[in-house]
Amino acid sequence: MTATVVTQDVTKRFVRTQALAGVSLSLSSGVTGLLGPNGAGKTTLLRILATVLAPDSGSVRTLGLDPANPREQTRIRRSLGYLPQEPGFQRGFSVFEFVDYVAILKEMTHARARHDEVRRVIDSVDLTLVSGKRVRALSGGMRRRVALAAALLGDPSLLVLDEPTAGLDPEQRLRFRELVSRAGEGRAVVLSTHQTEDVAALCQDVVVLHEGRVRFQGTPAQLAGLADGRVWYAAARGEGAALAWRTGDGRHRNLGTPPVGAEPVPPTLEDGYLLLLGSAAGVAA
Amino acid sequence: MTWHLDPAQVRGYADGTTGGARAASVEAHLLACADCRGLLAAAAPTDRLTAVWNAVQETVDSPRRSWIEQLLIRARVPEDDARLLAATPALQASWLLALVGVLAFATAAAGADDRWLRIFLVVAPLVPVLGVAGAYGRGIDPTYELTRATPYPTVRLLLLRVVAVLTVSVIVTAAFSSVATQGWDALAWLLPSLAMVGLVLVLSRVVDLPLAAGAVALVYVIAVFGLLLRRRDVVDLFARSGQLVSLCVAAACLAVVLSPARRAAFRRVP
Repeated sequence: MTATVVTQDVTKRFVRTQALAGVSLSLSSGVTGLLGPNGAGKTTLLRILATVLAPDSGSVRTLGLDPANPREQTRIRRSLGYLPQEPGFQRGFSVFEFVDYVAILKEMTHARARHDEVRRVIDSVDLTLVSGKRVRALSGGMRRRVALAAALLGDPSLLVLDEPTAGLDPEQRLRFRELVSRAGEGRAVVLSTHQTEDVAALCQDVVVLHEGRVRFQGTPAQLAGLADGRVWYAAARGEGAALAWRTGDGRHRNLGTPPVGAEPVPPTLEDGYLLLLGSAAGVAA
Repeated sequence: MTWHLDPAQVRGYADGTTGGARAASVEAHLLACADCRGLLAAAAPTDRLTAVWNAVQETVDSPRRSWIEQLLIRARVPEDDARLLAATPALQASWLLALVGVLAFATAAAGADDRWLRIFLVVAPLVPVLGVAGAYGRGIDPTYELTRATPYPTVRLLLLRVVAVLTVSVIVTAAFSSVATQGWDALAWLLPSLAMVGLVLVLSRVVDLPLAAGAVALVYVIAVFGLLLRRRDVVDLFARSGQLVSLCVAAACLAVVLSPARRAAFRRVP
């Protein structure tokens, strides 16, 4: 399968913070989840993929093109949909006007065709009934859907979504998962999240970033597999447990090195993630 | 029902050749007769129906434009440019009110005493610069990040908005100026102001537009204070030599801003 995005030794520094310290990745079509704690470099990497930011060193190839070349950068942007971490909206614009505004920025000049496309993407995120409402009058979840509609304009080959489920309630998150999984059919979607459940539910591929470096790239099953034989239940916090918590049924779920006689249970993606990050995630692996 | 449409009447109505009272009579009948509506549906050209339906949908579904968009479209600004301009922070009512407030204060001061006229002359060139600061940039435009990821040429968006903001702020400042000052003095601020806006645009190659505007405004304020400290009249800045220097600076900046190299620079990411 041809890689949609390839990065090689990408670095980025902001004054005193090394946001990315040599990131090498290869992402193909389908949904890829970027996992990592705060400050891991997820947003910086996504901003570089979205051509909003240039790396200090290293190379990036997106859709076979070089974003450092102005002409190729424009071609990438024509095939790109981007949902920033904190999407801003023009005060006073309605949902339709805002999406139409972004459509103009995406070089859709023919008014009738553009308006049809605006209606299509608004409909695809189920906001047709509020398309005449001011964006500022909508809930946080609806605003995120407006921003996703704008990202979907023009049926882009690459979707870059920065924490699309942040701040959403469980029902909204489920709706969002449905939308993103639909959007991921036949194109590459890269999304960052803190929610391991989102990755488990949506992604074919997962990348774990920590302190600006790639700590893992593989399938969600492979990430969960890192905790194979290292998760067990006990009446109390187990000896050798790097991390343990009391579950709803009163037992303790332990992660770490199981004692003799302990019966390991199938691990989740979260178990693998926690053990991978070890002390950085509050666990001594 | 005493009559029905014959095939010729159906065809004539469907292709739009039936007119006047006859068409009205056919329509009245169609409202009451399902059989004839069925005949018409079969005869109607679907491409024409689709076009009519799309036009109806376009009219009904497109939300009403804001006053600023309506104004721009009336001024023959293309529809898509009008929408881009309507999103300009410096063209929002709150921003315009702030500029008007500053000018009203300066104008009132100028009217109080002839010495205070100098306040107006010092403040007036800054108004378009402050307007341009609010045209586009990080921290000013809420969709700045999103805009950077679109293929729309940044230089075009920036110049489009700067021209719009400059036009509005120059007109507003000139209106207040005509009240505060007399004769050619009323336009003495214009060239220095355009020179400063030109410098802002050139500087915006290396820093964000609001920061560039702040830097240029700061240098101007320091120059004014410098004159005052040396006990010279600030009006000297607007004398013939000042106007000539301003003209040269404005022309040079315009040349730099419109050069092909500049356009490429605007596309580069930070």
